[in-house]
Amino acid sequence: MTTQAQRSRPEQLGKRLLREHGEVAISSWLRLWRQPLTNLLTWLTLAIALALPGTLIIMLSQAQGLANQLHTSNQISVFLSLQASTAEGQALSQQWQVHGDIHKTTFIAANDALQQFSQASGLGDVLTSLTDNPLPATILLEPVSDDPEHIQQLVQQLRQAELVDQVLVDQLWLQRMHTLVNTSQMAILILSLMLALGVLLVMGNTIRLQLENRRAEILVIKLVGGTDAYLRRPFLYTAIWSGLLAGLMACSIMAAALAALAPPLGQLAASFSSDWQLSNLGVSEVLLTILGSCLLSCAASLLTVQRQMANIEP
Amino acid sequence: MIQFQQVSKRYRDKTALDNANFHLPRGAMAFLTGHSGAGKSTLLKLIMHMEQPTNGKVIVDQQDLSQLNRHQIAMHRRKIGLVFQNHQLLEDYTVYDNIALPLKVSGYNNRDAGRRVRAALDKVGLLDKERQFPEVLSTGEQQRIGIARAIVNKPRLILADEPTGNLDPKLSAEIMQLFEQFNQVGVSVLIASHDLALIEHMGHAKIQLNRGRLSGAFVGPN
Repeated sequence: MTTQAQRSRPEQLGKRLLREHGEVAISSWLRLWRQPLTNLLTWLTLAIALALPGTLIIMLSQAQGLANQLHTSNQISVFLSLQASTAEGQALSQQWQVHGDIHKTTFIAANDALQQFSQASGLGDVLTSLTDNPLPATILLEPVSDDPEHIQQLVQQLRQAELVDQVLVDQLWLQRMHTLVNTSQMAILILSLMLALGVLLVMGNTIRLQLENRRAEILVIKLVGGTDAYLRRPFLYTAIWSGLLAGLMACSIMAAALAALAPPLGQLAASFSSDWQLSNLGVSEVLLTILGSCLLSCAASLLTVQRQMANIEP
Repeated sequence: MIQFQQVSKRYRDKTALDNANFHLPRGAMAFLTGHSGAGKSTLLKLIMHMEQPTNGKVIVDQQDLSQLNRHQIAMHRRKIGLVFQNHQLLEDYTVYDNIALPLKVSGYNNRDAGRRVRAALDKVGLLDKERQFPEVLSTGEQQRIGIARAIVNKPRLILADEPTGNLDPKLSAEIMQLFEQFNQVGVSVLIASHDLALIEHMGHAKIQLNRGRLSGAFVGPN
């Protein structure tokens, strides 16, 4: 009697947990396919809620690359006064070259400027008839920073310098670009949060219905001494599987969306004379989507089970 | 095995148990009688920690139930085999899976669980039904499956709430004989029943419950 009782004692904890988790993982997976249509609709809902912000985030992060390329045209044009000689202009240009906030300077002498202008404008004859060169010498600056405020400070500094007549920068365009990027980031963040909440609610509701369907089972399990962890486990695995499948579906949707968007966006970039191309999902993006999907589902499952399980008491 | 010390259980509009004192010794078998609604189920629920007393202490197997945390409550329930009037079998589980449930919950592997499930089925005489679903069985067979589930974990205590409520006298007597057999190997048994004729015939100790008051065997002064 004793030996038999000893032989059939519950096995070692680690081995036992591993086996139990394996069994629950398989039975939860099989249970999913008892109602394939209902579950498929749930997964699609989750997938769309994940794919929408996912696609936007990927597009925005790539568009920032494009924006950075365009930023190289944050050129500041410094027009020197007409009195400044070519040598003085060159000296000033070299002096600024080593300035910490300035990436690069290019000096254009007044004569060169006139020559360039007469070529570009086709007004060569008119210009040669002038006795004095009306154009000033120019220094073109590329600032180190993209930040409009830094550039504004730099412009103020440059205006203070001797020999400087006028400083021009396409500040407005720059500010618009930055505001646009910031607004898009914030909009996508808000959208992502709202849709993440949507995922939580959809998954939570699915788990709540399952709990309701398995009420009798839960009651009996509680009465024969099932622990909270034991009761939680099948719902946790349901959430993991659903998260995994929804994540995979979301990746497919995102890949299709990005593939469809790539050609027109490439054309748009080409019109800014950029060779930028929208690239499709990478491995890390796929993994992150699936991980995020699983984590959201698990969180929803745990929160729901925590709240609802207490209501099912024998 | 079970000790009630000045236990009262009051619901909003009625008193189910009023200052109850009793002590069921280890290995004893007793019937809890009283008309329906007298509070028999409440008393069993207190032992299962499905309900908590308003006053007093319930001590089972030397453990004060009010001191248990959620995990300990689960462990406490594993020591008790519970038989219901309406058997509470799960319809979408086979007979085998129904009986194996307490073992699964306690972490038995399939091999050990299988051995124990078959031993329990053998004990209730339904070894050939393990692959069937409960709904195809007769009421008497379902009740015996319920009993097999209650004993599969080799509990020290069996509680039964009107286990013969839906059965004819012959089947009832068979069920009661099963409980006697478990008691003979040392399991404590407490059966709530209002089948007075059968109880008289069996001749075990009786605890009466009337308007929340206990009297009879094992009952202390109050």
